[in-house]
Amino acid sequence: MSLRFHWMLPKGGEVGMLTAQETSRVLTTKSTSKASLPDIEGWLKFSRCAEEAGIESVLMSFSRYEPDTLVIASALGQATKKLKFIVAYRTGFMQPTTFVQQVNTLSGLIDGRVALNIVAGSSAAEQRGYGDFLDHDERYARADEFLEICHMFWRRNGEVAFKGDYFEVETGQLSTPFVAPDRSSPEIYVSGHSVQAERLAQRQGSCWLRLIDTPENLVPLVERNREHWIEMCLRLCVICRPTREEALDAARALLPDDDTERQERNILNSSDSQTLKQALAKADEVGWMNENLWAGLVPFYGSSAITLVGSPHELAQAFLDYKAIGITQFIISGWPKLEEMVIFGNEVIPLVRDAESSCKSC
Amino acid sequence: MSERSVKHPRSSVARFHWMLPKGGEVSLNGPQTPRDAAHYRLASTRDGSPAPVPDIPGWTHFGRCAEEAGIESLLVSFSKYEPDPILVSAALGQTTTKLKFIAAYRSGLMKPTSFVQQINTASAFMPGRLALNIVAGSSTEEQRGYGDYLAHDERYARAEEFLEVCHSFWRDSDDVNFDGKYYQVDHGKLHTPLFADRSIPEIYISGHSAQAEQLAVSKGTCLLRVADTVENLKPAVARVLERGIEVCLRMCVICRPTRAEAIEVAESLLPRDDMGQYERSVAVKNDSQMYREASEARDMWLSPLLWKGFVRYYGPVWTTLVGSFDDVAGALLEYKAIGVTQFIMSGWPELDEVKTFGSEVLPRVRRAGA
Repeated sequence: MSLRFHWMLPKGGEVGMLTAQETSRVLTTKSTSKASLPDIEGWLKFSRCAEEAGIESVLMSFSRYEPDTLVIASALGQATKKLKFIVAYRTGFMQPTTFVQQVNTLSGLIDGRVALNIVAGSSAAEQRGYGDFLDHDERYARADEFLEICHMFWRRNGEVAFKGDYFEVETGQLSTPFVAPDRSSPEIYVSGHSVQAERLAQRQGSCWLRLIDTPENLVPLVERNREHWIEMCLRLCVICRPTREEALDAARALLPDDDTERQERNILNSSDSQTLKQALAKADEVGWMNENLWAGLVPFYGSSAITLVGSPHELAQAFLDYKAIGITQFIISGWPKLEEMVIFGNEVIPLVRDAESSCKSC
Repeated sequence: MSERSVKHPRSSVARFHWMLPKGGEVSLNGPQTPRDAAHYRLASTRDGSPAPVPDIPGWTHFGRCAEEAGIESLLVSFSKYEPDPILVSAALGQTTTKLKFIAAYRSGLMKPTSFVQQINTASAFMPGRLALNIVAGSSTEEQRGYGDYLAHDERYARAEEFLEVCHSFWRDSDDVNFDGKYYQVDHGKLHTPLFADRSIPEIYISGHSAQAEQLAVSKGTCLLRVADTVENLKPAVARVLERGIEVCLRMCVICRPTRAEAIEVAESLLPRDDMGQYERSVAVKNDSQMYREASEARDMWLSPLLWKGFVRYYGPVWTTLVGSFDDVAGALLEYKAIGVTQFIMSGWPELDEVKTFGSEVLPRVRRAGA
């Protein structure tokens, strides 16, 4: 099977941005940030470039600082043909019946080009703004029930009845089906580093989405998830330049001033996410996790800023190394927001595809 | 409340909206008889009907015809038999340019914060073209399928809280706090604003109960109810107008060159079997006041033009204005005269009826200065 490459949809206003400094979360969470405004023109341009670059899907992140993901996909999908949308949503914000109705509707509006990234929650403060007062572990228990009910609807096997701790449904029925050329329910990426997140992915998801780490560190995780028949997808950034030196220069140029670090630290420290804590520890302890994998941007831009840095050949080889241990999917972002994806599509994907076709067992 | 005066500008011109047809109902492959169209709609809740599948090509075609006909908005209804109205509106907003959408939604199916985030996002794709039809609930059975176990009156109390939280986000999106019986929000914050020339979208509240009227007055801009005779409506309309909001009537319409032709079409739509009778029966909608009233009325003709021959089979929203172009225009003017300012119509087939309505009835209404 070929590796599957997805990309993060830039936030509103980011499509033209060149540096990590411009797109830092410290800025995007301000009420004056363009991240809150749907960027129809920018997104259309980005989506078309993604299709051309050989990117399969774009992931849309969910937060109170951004527009709603399901709605964006409904509208943006009208103007694209091939690109899929991985819609991030948090369980607990709507009834599972309502959620399935929306997801199924979306599938019918955009020819089934929809997958889900299910997130149990975010910071306690953000969750309370949505009327959610559960703690971390309970949010996962609720997410499990939530997806259990969703799957019951997707099986279309009669009326849905469920009685749990968080949800109760009787005579549940939805006429609008999930429609896609090859599936009767969406792919579900479950993200998070906690034991609960991994278990949720195994029980209810099709793929566990987590931050990139070194292949050595990931081997045992891949092994234990293989038994559950789910895939693993890594979230990472890339900086690809013609030579390693140029890539390193580009990487270093993304380091910001101290003020950004202090503010980002506050965001990181206030979170109860395992993902953030682990990523930050990596950055503090090691910086370079191996020859190409750099955590140097994490203290400034958050956990998803672990970055593969190198030449096209180095990066292609790095992806093949992940493939060799059983990783099948990647969700990538980079800087400049648009150009890095174009470089990746032109320079890295063809090398990966060549290697894949010449080595059937790879 | 100080915003009351700007919140409800009284329309001086009657506003006409139309129902979005079911998926697949707008046939792009040739003409349908009214009876074909009615049957398609009645079968839309049955297994195997294509109606629940979103139909962007058909709906876009209908939307453009409605725009040309002078229709202001399409109402996108909500039920377990249909696709989600918010997402459908967002998608159709991309394929039309002027038409507005009234997305129906039931409070209680999602958190108000999430709801506002979705509505505000959708509005960005169709600035100034998104309104809401908030419904407190439906049949007990359908509500339970959504995980909602509240009784009729409690659903209204919850809807009140739901819209209170929504209003808070629309007024001040940066720090919303609410501690109610059904919802709690602690330092709620949403950065995506509503894209409109008003801070709060138009909100139609439907229902015939006292609770519905109270909710419309306190949190809405317009009470949406099923058409009745002018005499029956007059006191209710006057009371609602007095309380500062508009009244919108939901009705079907069959207009033809002569009254005899219109009646012939109406009679062709009466069912030959019990299709729909169970689904729409009072037994199912047991706690809806609107359904109870409809089942109690005895006469088929409420007035010379207003016919409820379909209601016992298909439900109260099939209350139908039947007549010649002049008859129908005249009836609408009478409603306008007692203060009704908005109408949401439908017909069989939707496409043919909206075209006829736009070319024959609307010009007559406009010529009369309404």
